[in-house]
Amino acid sequence: MERQEIEDRVKKVVGAVLKIDPQTISTEANFVFDLGAESVQSLQLVGGFEEEFDIEMEEDKALAVQTVGDAVAFIAQHVG
Amino acid sequence: MSEVRVKTKAQLDPIFSPRSVAIVGATDKPGTVPYDILANILRDKFQGPVFPVSPGKDFIDGVKTHKYVVDIQDPVDLAILVFPSSVCHLALEQCGQKGVKAVVIISAGFKEVGPAGLEREKKLQEIAGRYGISFIGPNCLGVINTDSRVRLDASFARKMPDPGNIGFLSQSGALCTAVLDFAQARHIGFSKFVSFGNKADVNDIDLLYYLAEDEKTKVILLYLEEVSDGIGLMKAARDVISKTSKPVLILKSGRSPRGAAAAASHTGSLAGSDEVCDAAMRQAGIIRCRNIEEMFNNAIALAYQPLPKSDRIAIVTNAGGPGVLATDAAYDEGIRMAEFGEDTTKLFKRSLPATANIKNPVDVIGDAHSDRYEVALAGALGDGNVDGVAVILTPQSMTNIEEIAQCIVRKGHGASKPVYASFMGEADVKAGIGILQRNQIPHYSLPESMCKAFAAAWRFQRTLQRDHTAPAEFTDVSRDKAKALLDKALGEGRHHLPEEEAEAVLATYGLPIIPSKLANSGEQAATFAQEIGFPVVMKIVSDEIVHKVDVGGVVLNVGDAAAAKAAYEGIVGSAQRHKPDAGIKGVLVQKMLKGGEEVILGLKRDPSFGPVAMFGLGGSFVEVFKDVSFRVCPLNTTSITRMVKEIKAYPILSGARGRKRRDVAAIEQCIQRLSQMAVECPEIQELDINPLIVMNEGEGCFVADARIML
Repeated sequence: MERQEIEDRVKKVVGAVLKIDPQTISTEANFVFDLGAESVQSLQLVGGFEEEFDIEMEEDKALAVQTVGDAVAFIAQHVG
Repeated sequence: MSEVRVKTKAQLDPIFSPRSVAIVGATDKPGTVPYDILANILRDKFQGPVFPVSPGKDFIDGVKTHKYVVDIQDPVDLAILVFPSSVCHLALEQCGQKGVKAVVIISAGFKEVGPAGLEREKKLQEIAGRYGISFIGPNCLGVINTDSRVRLDASFARKMPDPGNIGFLSQSGALCTAVLDFAQARHIGFSKFVSFGNKADVNDIDLLYYLAEDEKTKVILLYLEEVSDGIGLMKAARDVISKTSKPVLILKSGRSPRGAAAAASHTGSLAGSDEVCDAAMRQAGIIRCRNIEEMFNNAIALAYQPLPKSDRIAIVTNAGGPGVLATDAAYDEGIRMAEFGEDTTKLFKRSLPATANIKNPVDVIGDAHSDRYEVALAGALGDGNVDGVAVILTPQSMTNIEEIAQCIVRKGHGASKPVYASFMGEADVKAGIGILQRNQIPHYSLPESMCKAFAAAWRFQRTLQRDHTAPAEFTDVSRDKAKALLDKALGEGRHHLPEEEAEAVLATYGLPIIPSKLANSGEQAATFAQEIGFPVVMKIVSDEIVHKVDVGGVVLNVGDAAAAKAAYEGIVGSAQRHKPDAGIKGVLVQKMLKGGEEVILGLKRDPSFGPVAMFGLGGSFVEVFKDVSFRVCPLNTTSITRMVKEIKAYPILSGARGRKRRDVAAIEQCIQRLSQMAVECPEIQELDINPLIVMNEGEGCFVADARIML
């Protein structure tokens, strides 16, 4: 899968969970600090990425995914 | 050990008295920490602008938010960080960019969760250091200032406490909420209420100094779970008490034995971490409390009433039994029952029923109304032999409880002597107790607690009169010679100095050593014994044998040359049987002193408090009897005198039951020299002088055995 496609789909998930326009989301954005994700929403983001990309994110690895860019990099490593 | 780094008032003022506050990481979900803190600040009417910072919301409860701290146009004096720990560093960085100098970090997930959290905490320290930010926390409940000019409730406590003159500092956030509820039920108010959490920046010592300068704080309470800088804490407490006369009360948890593990000496074994902490706190004038109830029992006595000028207490009661209980408690606490003067006695005879007891405790009898209490209080407060009054009430059917409470408030206000009360019971006396509490008459559920509090106040009065003269220094000592001996052992990889070497070190600091020589054969032992003069003591010398008696390594009262030769062979043989791997250096032949008393002197270097001296009844069973006292070095003469008198066995030394008085002055001088050595020779980790043999007054004392651990 191309990186750009991954990024677009990540932003789509983030937009849906946090109710913000995906176009306004930068790659460097921190889910909590910049986008205002609360604890329940953080879990929803993980669930959303897993469903969107058909992957599993282990808890300790999920904790390290702090930004949109982190999510893109993680997913890129785990999809074909 | 102590750092010379104390936050200034100017650095901490914006934390307690900010002109504006930002809540960074605020949310709109009631019942969450971020929301509840914002809600508390708004509800309790903080006297300045409030700026919620929330990347996900435009408004919270009608208050406009900002996405980032740097978006706030107006100055921000104080930022409360409530973001998750993973992004606190980002928020702190922005606070620095904004020019915020004071921060409270509520978030958990730092040092307390392990190595990853510790790294996050260090990052915060680095950012704060770069921007000159002072921060409280992380992992704390928050900060409360009840001053009406500020009214800051930057915490997630259930409600703001009433204003008062007690400052409370706590390392535990959860304990804070319990304390607030406990205090509220008792109408106890606070000036400042601080949960300081992990103390990654602002610590307990900084806060002690800050509250010392706070005009609204009269008494300082501190709950600690660990003492990270004992020397600094002692200094801070001493400074606060001596410069401001404000009492410092500490409740420190973790009293169970831990620190005496793996100690090689008697001193090391006896000087557990809590024994040392206890001694250090007493030495610094800190009132150490065993639990929250005791802490507040003492605090209200110290905050609400004047200190007693002496320990003479008068008890006024309407019930004989509780009066006796109070009298017993006074005796237990070492305080005296006042003897009324003639005028007071006449007043009571004239004005109280014939069946009343007019001596102390004054029993105004069970059917008393407020008029009899009025007379009893007037008499007791007016008597020059009385320096404090304790009032007891039990609720009989005719007892007008609230009127009596009002009477006590009236008589107590403006009195130069402290007045305390104990209304015994719970339901019927509740309203009366409320009157007392709201009018700053310290109330206690039991007369015993009342007397304990009075005793604590009296002891604090005496603390204020303590001698703070710097310790004297002996000039007839040789630090260089001591250092040479210690360095030689360390250079050889040895950390245990057996008797002969230890005594050589002690001699460099002027401690009196008994003449002795090291023999390497039975014949030599006999020769040395003849030279020294019989009787002699003979002792095994080995780096590997610490407790000589346990291996049969000591023979006393050797009276002639043949016995000396036999004793040598016996000692060496026994030592080799018990410890076949021990290297035997020889047998020490030492003059035997008769007729002296055996005491123990010791040193232990505590990781938090530094060098600690020990004194007590000596001998092999010192760890059984544990009749010892501790003091943190350096020591002045007043501390040493108190230390010596503190042990139960002191009367043996001072001449009990017709015995001659021992040379206590010589003991005190030895302790003084040891204290100086402890400070000047940091190589010494533990030291035992056991026994120090004390002769009769004027005849001195002598080191009969010693060992040093480096």
